[in-house]
Parts: sequence; structure tokens; C-alpha cells
Amino acid sequence: MANPVIMPRQGQSVESCILTEWKVKEGDTVAEGDVLAVIETDKASFDLESTASGTVLELFWEADDDVPVLANVIAIGKEGENIDDLRPQGSGSSPSLEPVASSTPEAPAGNAPTTQQIIARPEADSSTSSYTPSSGVSPRARKKAIKLGVDAETLVGTGPGGRVIERDIDAFLAGTPRLSATARIHAKEQGLEAPVRGSGIAGMALASDMRKPGSIEGAEVEPVKGIRKLIAERMMQSLQGTAQLTLHSSFDATNCQKYRKKRLADGESKVSINDLIAQAILASLKVHPEMNAHFLGDRLAVFHEVNLGIAVDSPRGLMVPVVQEASKMSIEMLSSEIKKKAIACRDGTIQPDDLSGGTFTLTNLGMLGVDNFTPVLNPPEIGILGVGGISLQPKRNMDGEVSFVDQISLSLTIDHQAIDGAPAARFLQALVNHLENHPGENPQKIEGEE
Amino acid sequence: MKYDFAVIGAGPAGYVAAKKAASAGLKVVMIEKKKLGGVCLNEGCVPSKTLLQAAKTYHHAKHGSIFGVEAGSLSFDFGKAHTHKNSVMDRMRDGIAGLMKKHKVEVIEGEATLLKGSSFSVNGETHEADNILLCTGSSPSIPPIPGIEADHIVDSTGILNIDTLPKNLVIVGGGVIGCEFACMYASVGVPVTVLEAMPEICPNLDSEISAILRKELEKKGVTFKLGAKVESFEGKSVRFNLDGKTQDMDADLVLVATGRRPNVSGLGLEEIGLDFDPRCGVKVDSRGATNLPGLWAAGDVTGQAWLAHAASRMGEVVVHNINGQKDQMRHDTMPAVVYTSPEVAVVGLTKEEAIERGMKVKTGKIPMAINARYIAENPGEEGICKVVLDADTNRLIGVHMVGGACSEMIFGATAMLETELREEEIAEIVFPHPTTSEIMKDVFMTVR
Repeated sequence: MANPVIMPRQGQSVESCILTEWKVKEGDTVAEGDVLAVIETDKASFDLESTASGTVLELFWEADDDVPVLANVIAIGKEGENIDDLRPQGSGSSPSLEPVASSTPEAPAGNAPTTQQIIARPEADSSTSSYTPSSGVSPRARKKAIKLGVDAETLVGTGPGGRVIERDIDAFLAGTPRLSATARIHAKEQGLEAPVRGSGIAGMALASDMRKPGSIEGAEVEPVKGIRKLIAERMMQSLQGTAQLTLHSSFDATNCQKYRKKRLADGESKVSINDLIAQAILASLKVHPEMNAHFLGDRLAVFHEVNLGIAVDSPRGLMVPVVQEASKMSIEMLSSEIKKKAIACRDGTIQPDDLSGGTFTLTNLGMLGVDNFTPVLNPPEIGILGVGGISLQPKRNMDGEVSFVDQISLSLTIDHQAIDGAPAARFLQALVNHLENHPGENPQKIEGEE
Repeated sequence: MKYDFAVIGAGPAGYVAAKKAASAGLKVVMIEKKKLGGVCLNEGCVPSKTLLQAAKTYHHAKHGSIFGVEAGSLSFDFGKAHTHKNSVMDRMRDGIAGLMKKHKVEVIEGEATLLKGSSFSVNGETHEADNILLCTGSSPSIPPIPGIEADHIVDSTGILNIDTLPKNLVIVGGGVIGCEFACMYASVGVPVTVLEAMPEICPNLDSEISAILRKELEKKGVTFKLGAKVESFEGKSVRFNLDGKTQDMDADLVLVATGRRPNVSGLGLEEIGLDFDPRCGVKVDSRGATNLPGLWAAGDVTGQAWLAHAASRMGEVVVHNINGQKDQMRHDTMPAVVYTSPEVAVVGLTKEEAIERGMKVKTGKIPMAINARYIAENPGEEGICKVVLDADTNRLIGVHMVGGACSEMIFGATAMLETELREEEIAEIVFPHPTTSEIMKDVFMTVR
């Protein structure tokens, strides 16, 4: 009566999730609701909770595997139960087994994986590694060792399971440090590598010198994975795949501050400067809809509604939740939605569907003391507005008198492939105008005025 | 003058570094205000070991009857022992001078003052060096006890120049230096009392080892007063407090052996902004680098180890680093010896130190008396060998011995620690039979 736990579908657009970390191991006892693993979509990471109670019989995937949604992830039941039927095709730990392509009757009906869904992503096979815990010497290493007169059998292998591979022969010939007796055991049992020169006698590598493969002296080295990897890819994609141009401006925040004070005096809900800027974006996009678009290479999609992305600094990294159909919202609703989405990101409870579909993005580093910065586009969007800090600046009024006002800097990055500098500047001008003269007023009214 | 490398202080850190740097092709100068060889050769290791050997010879002659050796009427000429001591020192100093000459190290006699910008002055002249090694050693630390300046009260330097035996000797401080002199004087029949403020002698050693050493020294006639705090010296009387009671004791000679302090004054260290502490010495990293570029320090002046061989190694590490070869001190594998009879020799961590570092440990312990060679040569003498292993890896991390001439075999334990040998590998090392060193193999039978 063993049960599988399946990879849940995280939103409509998600076809697979990366299993970043196992929280249980085979033999552990788990209860329904226990966290089994951490999984990530291309937008966020989540806890995979158990839908069954019992002993963990087998983990079908390894950390960092890309697991198709609805595939069996783990088998939970009583020790000794046969779980052959639960093993998904293409999972990392049992590549040789022929999976039985049918759901088990015990599996919860609604969640049971189907043959089609599993087979629909055969590419998962090639990306998963198969770890074989057998040592020995690789044929290539053996050939080289014989040619160069190295006794490969006496070397400590750094390949999977301590297998001697070509680089071990190279390292031996390059005079990699001798390992102390204990360091040798660490190398063998934990797959650790010695530095070029150890800290022991005459550079002997001691147990304390042994490092995980790929480590760098004087630094903590972590693999780039999960959200960091996605952000990295997105950023490179953005800067390499678009023609970014940033326009800088600023606005006098006096009326924004007046508006906020008035709301408080009138007993209305509190709104932030950032909320007012978000609302000004919506108002300005009404007038300049060409900025509310996706550039798709051969097509340009100009949207009717604004789905406003808000850049959020979360413990997992940069996240951009989207306030869907923000253009329909009042300032109060907009303010509350932005707050809700940001909290969900920080708490890790944001839903994947809330992380996609944006048409324009707002990013604010003003509260971190940044005067001005160049926002990076979130393609295929063609506009992102960056908000800097407040600074006291002199301003001349109509009568020529100079006074000091609170000025907030704005930076608009556009995709010059989709839009030119002048129309973007006009959008920015409208934005500044709205913030200086009509903060908090809804777009319809502005449209009527214009 | 401009040098590649300047060494200030010609002790075991200095002359080793100077020789090493010079043989690597650097232009080296070494400055010494007193005599070549430093504390080790002139006021420490060498003279004390020579006199200890004199005392040991007398002791063996006197107690040879178990071997059937009767020496008849026996006398001890301390003056002659000093003559031998002085000749050994002269010979060693000549050796160092010859070594410096051979390696073309320029030796300047005088007091150096460090100046800003990698330069220094000596005898009124200013010199520059790319790298400077500060290794000015240490001096006996004298506690502020009333009356301590009296003539019959000496430190470990002063006592080495007294070539007549006192009627009795009181030693303030039961550390390594105190114990060695206690052993020396007691072995030649001088009544010795050691006043130690701590509850046990040599508090840095494994407590079981310290206790065995104390009992063996008591057998030689040394009286230990543990927990005794000296309050004052009046005339030939020593006043101390023991268990809340003030007691007086007559002393013909008093040795104050309450530790050492680094020689950091008069060198211009404050003026150049060197990071140092008057009691703990010059702050250095594991390579011997100070907070100032091009200025290095080694040996007692760094307040680390207080051992001649540690100083030499520190000097060597500095030269390696100057020459671009990565090297660092490994204090965890630094052996230490107390040259009493019996000797104490240790390397690595005690069980308590290992546990403090969060390690899981296994230990083994065996009496020296199970060893044939030991009981043949050291009848009636207690000894012990203890080992500490990392329970996770079976790696040997500490060896602690008291008994016979165990200083001569501690290097083997050091080699085991340096190469991180585990119980499994050590089990395959062959030890010659019959030797006392076999104890190092047999002790593993007791590991659990």
C-alpha cells in the first residue's frame, strides 16, 4: 500500500519544477503535511509537503533534477513494500528500470500521474545524472596511466564514487600535493579535493585542507542554482537580448506629501509614495499605451490592461510579483495589493501565477539610499521605472523665487527596439506631471482632463 | 646600507632565518645586542641542559647500586660543571658565527631601533631592508613582590651564573623552568622547595602527567607547596600564604621562575605603529606577518610557544613566505619537552583541549613499566604514555608522555601528527625491539 507523492502543478504555465533540496532521506518516518523537499519553478521556490504518512521508501529524484509536474517524486509506505509500480520514467536514481506506465490504484485519484504526462517530457532523462557508487579506473584514465607509467590503481579518484578519472592522472603528474593519511580518507569517502598546496609539511594536504570540488580558497563557494540561476539567466537575457536606453528625470514630491497628509487627516488609509508612483504609472500608461507592451521580435503586443510588476527584495532573491489588471484599481486597492504581493514574496507564499504576465514594472531603491540607478528591463516588457531617493533641491517658481523642495529621481529604461526616446520621454513627462499635479487621482479623470 | 632581509635578534628564530634567507640568495644582515644564540644558547636551553646532565650523571653514580655499580665516595664540583657549560656555549656560539660567515650573513653588534618605512638604525647608522624580521626574544618576568630585589633572589638567567651550590633553594613558580632547576639542584643533594600558586605544577600539561612528574621529583627530594602564594621576601626569609595561613621559610637562594615576557621595549615599536601588547607580544598571523608591510616577527617576541624550536620554525616560515613559498605555523603539532628526570614530552592536543574544540575523542593510556627496556634502565621510576585520537577519523591528535628520556622519541609522534596518521597506519609501523619507543605502539592497544 505504498503511496507516491507527486510533483504538484505550480500554476498553469509550469511544466516542471527543480527539486533543489531533499529534506528527508530513505528510511525516515514522515507524516502528512511534513516538508519532504524544496522545489522551485522558474519564478519561486516552495516546500513540497507530504500527502501520505509512513516510511520513506525511495527518493525517485536527486537534488537539482528537473522534475515534470505530476510525476511521482517519492514513495512512502511500509518498509519492504514493492514500489516498482511507483517509479517514474526518467528519474535519476533508477535509470535502468522500466517503469510501469500506469497510475497505481492507491494513488490519490486526482493527483495520479498519467502516462501521457510522464512521457510528455522525455527530455528530463538526459538532464538527470546517474550516480554509480563504484570506484575503479575509467578506461580513458587507464589508457593514459599505462602510457605515462602511472599506477592508476594507487591513486585516489575524484570521479563519482572515488573512480579514478583522467584529471586524477593529470593531477598526479602535475605534482598535486601528497595527501595525509586522513586527508586521503576524506578524499575517498567524501569526494573532497586537495588544494594545489596544502598546509601540512612541505605542502602536504591535511584533512582540514580538503575542499569540495570546485571550491576557491578564501571564499565560500555555492553552486548557482534555483532562483539565483534564473535571475542570472534572465538578467543576461535582458541585457543581451534588448536595446536598453535609460532616461532620467525627477519630480517635486510636495503635492504627493500633501496628498498623503490630507488622506491621514481625512481618516483615509495610508498610501506610500511608491503607491502614488505606481498609480501615476497606470495613469500615464492610459495616455501612452504604447509603453504598456511586449516586444516579441517580429510582433509588438500592446496591452489593454496594465499588469504592473513590482520588484521585491525577498530572502530568496529578486522577485517581481504582478498586480494583475492594476489599471482597474483605485489607489487604495492598488496600495493594498502591492503590499500583499510583497509580503507573499518575503514569506515565500507567492503563487507562480502571480509572478508572470506583467506588462510594465516598477522598481524602487530609494529607501536604500540610492539616488539614481539604471533599471534592467524585464523582457518582453518594454518599460521599467526605477525610483531613487528623495533629495532637497532648489526650485524656481513662476514668480522667479527659489525655494527648496523634496525631489525624487526617476529612471525609465525602455527597449529601444520597440519604442523611441522621444515618446518614452513624453511618457516620463506625463508621469512627472501626474505626480506633481494630480497625485492619487484615478486615471479616468486624467484622461477626461487631457 | 640597503639589504634584502634584516634580522633583529640572533636567537634560534633569527639565525635560522638569516641562514635560510642567505642561502636562498638574499642579502642578509643580523643585528644582536648581546651574544649570538639568544636566550636558548646563552640563558636557557643549552646551559640548563648541560648542568642538568651534570646533575644526572651525579645522580646515576650515586644510585648505581641496583645495577651493581658502587661509586664509593662521591663528590660534585659545580664549578667544573659550569666550566663545561661555558665551553659548550662558546663552541655553539662559534658554530653560529661560522655558519653566518659561511652564508655571508653580515652580523652587526648593537641595539637596533625600527624606523618607519622599512628601515632601522643601529650604532647611529640607518639601514633599509625589503623585509625585517623582529625576533628579540623574551626575558624572565619578575612579579612585584616586596623585597624581590635582594641579592640572593635570582631569575633563570642569574642562577645559571652561580657556580656554587646553595644550602637550600626555594623556587617560586612550578612551571617548566622551575621544575627543571628543582630537578637539577635536588639531584645533587640541595634541599629544594617549590612554591606554586596553582593547584598543580606545569598547569599547561595533561594533569595526570603533571602529577606523575611531581611525584617523581618528590622522590628526588623536592618539596612542593601547591597553592602557595608568595607575599614578601624579608632578609633570607620567604613569606608565603598557604591555605589561608602565612608561613615563613628560610632560603639561601631563591629562584623566581614565574614565566617570561616578550622583549618589546626600546625598539621603537610604538613609533612605527606596530600592533603589539607588552605582555602578549607582537601580533602575527600564521605566517609571522605583523600589521606592518615588510615587518615580520618570530619566536618569543610574538608571545607564542616560548620554545626555541618553535622560534626556529617561525623564522623559517617567515623566510619561506618572503621567498614566495606558501607556508604557515602549525602550532597544533609543536612538540614540547620538560627536561627533568624523568622527562616530559608532549605534542598535540590533550583530551580536554580536543573536547573544547568540539571533537569526539578516543584515548589510550599505558604505563611505561610494561616496557622491558624502560624498567631495565629506569628502575622504580613511574612513567606513562597517553594518546588522544579523533574518534571520527581515528587520526592521532595528541601524545603525552612522562618517563625516562622520552624527549628523544617525541619527534616520532610529531611526524605522525604532521602526516595525520590514523590508528590503522600507525599499527603497521615497525618499532625496533627492545626500545622504550615501543610504548608508542603498545599504547594503541588501550585505545577506546
